[in-house]
Amino acid sequence: MRMILRRIALYALTAWVAVTVNFVLPRLMPGNPVQTLIGKLTGQVTPNEIRAIRLSFGMGFHEGLLAQYGTYLNQLAHGNLGVSITLGAPVSSILRASVPWTVGLIGVSTVVSFLIGTFSGAILGWTRGSRFDSLIPTATFFQAIPYFFLGTVMLLIFGSNLHWFPVLGAYSANVTPGWNWAFIASVIRYGELPVISIVLSSVAGWMLGMRNMMITMIGEDFVLMAVAKGLARRRVIWHAARSAVLPSIANLSLAIGLVVSGALLVELVFNYPGVGDLLLQAVLNEDYPLIQGIFLVITLTVLAANLIADLVYLALDPRTRSEAAV
Amino acid sequence: MSASRIDVGNRLDRRGASPSREATPSARDFVLEVSDFSVHYGVDANMVRAVHDVTLNVRRATVLGVAGESGSGKSTLVYALTRLLRPPGVISGGRAILNVSSDDDPARVTPVNLTTASERELRRVRWSHVSIVLQSALSALNPVRRIGREFDEVLRTHRRAMSRRERRRRAEELLALVGLEPDRLNRFPHELSGGQRQRVMIALALALDPELVVMDEPTTALDVVTQREIITELAELRARFGFAMIFITHDLSLLVELADEIVVMYAGTIVERASAGELYAAPRHPYTLGLLESFPPLHGERRELTGIAGSPPDLAVESVGCSFAPRCPFTMDRCRAETPPLAPIGETGRSVACWLHATPSPVPVPAALSRRWTAPVGPTAPGVTSR
Repeated sequence: MRMILRRIALYALTAWVAVTVNFVLPRLMPGNPVQTLIGKLTGQVTPNEIRAIRLSFGMGFHEGLLAQYGTYLNQLAHGNLGVSITLGAPVSSILRASVPWTVGLIGVSTVVSFLIGTFSGAILGWTRGSRFDSLIPTATFFQAIPYFFLGTVMLLIFGSNLHWFPVLGAYSANVTPGWNWAFIASVIRYGELPVISIVLSSVAGWMLGMRNMMITMIGEDFVLMAVAKGLARRRVIWHAARSAVLPSIANLSLAIGLVVSGALLVELVFNYPGVGDLLLQAVLNEDYPLIQGIFLVITLTVLAANLIADLVYLALDPRTRSEAAV
Repeated sequence: MSASRIDVGNRLDRRGASPSREATPSARDFVLEVSDFSVHYGVDANMVRAVHDVTLNVRRATVLGVAGESGSGKSTLVYALTRLLRPPGVISGGRAILNVSSDDDPARVTPVNLTTASERELRRVRWSHVSIVLQSALSALNPVRRIGREFDEVLRTHRRAMSRRERRRRAEELLALVGLEPDRLNRFPHELSGGQRQRVMIALALALDPELVVMDEPTTALDVVTQREIITELAELRARFGFAMIFITHDLSLLVELADEIVVMYAGTIVERASAGELYAAPRHPYTLGLLESFPPLHGERRELTGIAGSPPDLAVESVGCSFAPRCPFTMDRCRAETPPLAPIGETGRSVACWLHATPSPVPVPAALSRRWTAPVGPTAPGVTSR
C-alpha cells in the first residue's frame, strides 16, 4: 500500500513538471508567437480573441511571470486550454471531439494486437521448432512494410476494389451520431479495416517478444517442476506464460501511452477524425494553443498509462513489491 | 584376452549373476529397476553419450546415492529416468520400470515402464509415486505464486476428492513436518531463506506420499549448517514414511551418512557400486578413491586433500579403453585398450569397473584399493576408519 502511494505521488510530481514545461516552453521560443499570430490575423480576430490568445499563453498585459503561471494553472484546473486560432473554438472542446476517436481506434487496435500477439507468441514458444514457426517471418514481413504503404494498399484492395469494407471517415453519413445502435454499428464497421491494418503491422512485435520470453521460461526450473508434478499440459503452459507475459505488460504500457500521438499515418490514410490529423493541421497552421493542448493531453495520457502499468505490474509480480523495504 | 574379458563379467555375465526380471522374488522389493539405460544429447556427429549402459535397482524404502563430479551424467540419468529430460537429450536404449503400488492395496504392485509410458500414464505416476527436489529451490518455485498455491495445486491435481480446507490443512501438516510455521504458506518464495525454501520443496515432494523421491543436489546451494540440518531431517522423514530416495551429489562424504547403497558415476557409466559404509572405508575404484580424497573427513585425523588430476573426458569423442585411464594413477596397458565392465568382485554384492580387480589379478592391487572392511555393529560412523 505504501508502495502504491509512493508511485502515485511520483506520478503527480511528474505531471506537475509536464504542465509547467508546457507553460514555460512557449516563453523560451525565439520571438513572440502571440505577436506573430496577432499580426498575421489582424482584422480577422475580435479583441476578445486576442485577449484569449494572450491568456492562453499566460501572457497577460501587465502580469508578472508568477502571476501568469497562476492564471495558467487556474485555467487548466477549469479545463480551459485557450482558444484555437484557426478553428476559433475552445481547444478543450476540439479535443473532446477528436480524442475519443483516436483513443477508440488505436486503443482497440493496440489491445487486440497485444492479445493476439501474446497468445500466439505463447503457443509459438511452447511449440518452438514446429511448423507454426513459419508464422513469425509472415508477421515480421507485415511489420517491415512501411505503414502508409500497407494501409494504402489494403484500403485500395479491400475497400475500393473489393468493397469488403467501407472507406473514408469514421462512420456512415446516413447515421446520426449519438448513443444509438445504428451509429455504434456504423462506427464498428468503419473501424474494421483500420484496426485490421494496424494489428497486422504491429502483431509481430508482441509475438516475437512473448515467444522469446516463453522459450526462456520453459528453460526455468519451475516449469520443469510443473511437468514433474504431473500437471496437465495447459497448466504447465500457464506456469510459463504467467511469468513470460510480464515484459510484454511493461511494453503494453508504453504502447498505450503512445495511443494518442502515434495515430497520424492511420488517420491520414483512412481519413479518420482523430488527434493525429488535428496535430498535423495545428502544426501546419502554427496554431499554438491547439498544439499546446494536444501536447498536454499526450503527456498526461502517457503518464496515466504508465501509472496504470506500474500498478498492474505491482499486482502481477510480487518481487517488485519488496522494493519498498530497501 | 577377449575371452577373459567375458569371463570377468561383461554385461552378459552380469545378467547371469543377478537374477533376471521374471525370477526376482518380487517386484515389490524394488521400486525402480533400470537396465542398460543410455542417454544421448544431440544426434550424428555432435552426439554426446551422456549416460551409457547403466543398470541399477532401487530397493524400497532405501536411499541410493549417486555420486560423481560435474558432467559425469548423474543428473542426466535421473532426468531421463523420470522422463523430464529436455531436448536435445534422448533416451537411446534400455528401460526403466517403476513398480507402483496401488493406493488402496500396498501389496498390489503394477510395473510402469517409464521409458515407453505415454504422457497420460506419466502424469498419473508423477508426483503421486515419484517426486523430485531440485538444487535451487528459488528457481524451482514459481516466483509469482505464494507457497500455499504450490501445495494446493499438486493436491488439487492428484487428490480430486479433497476440499479446499482439507488441502490447506494437509499443506500446514506438511510444513510442520519440515519444521516450518503454517504462515509460510502465505509467503512468496523470495521472502523465505534458502534453507526454508528447500524445506518447502521437501515438504512439497512428500505431499502425495510418493514411493520414490529424487533429490538432485538438494543441499549444494546451502551453507554447511543448514545442509547438516536438512540431511538429518531427511533421514528422519525417510525412517518415518518409508519412501525410497535417489540422492544425487558430488559430495561423497555426505552420501555416506545418508545412503544405504552408493553408485559412483564417471563419464556416463557406473564405475563402482557398493554399500555406503564399504565404499567409504574401502573404495575399490581409483576414481572413488580420488573423490573421497577430495573431501575433508568430518571426524578423525587431518590429512592432505589430493583431489583428482586432469578433467573428465569429452563425451562427444568415442574413446577406447577405460574412460578414467588418462587420470588414473594405476593405469596399465590393458586400460587403454579395453573398457572394463562393471563386474562383481569377490565381496558381498559390490561391483567395480576396473581391470585392477580382474581375476586372476594382473598386478598386485594397490594398498589404497584393497583395504579390508567389516560391517560395523552400530550405525555407520564415517571418518573413523580413515587412514
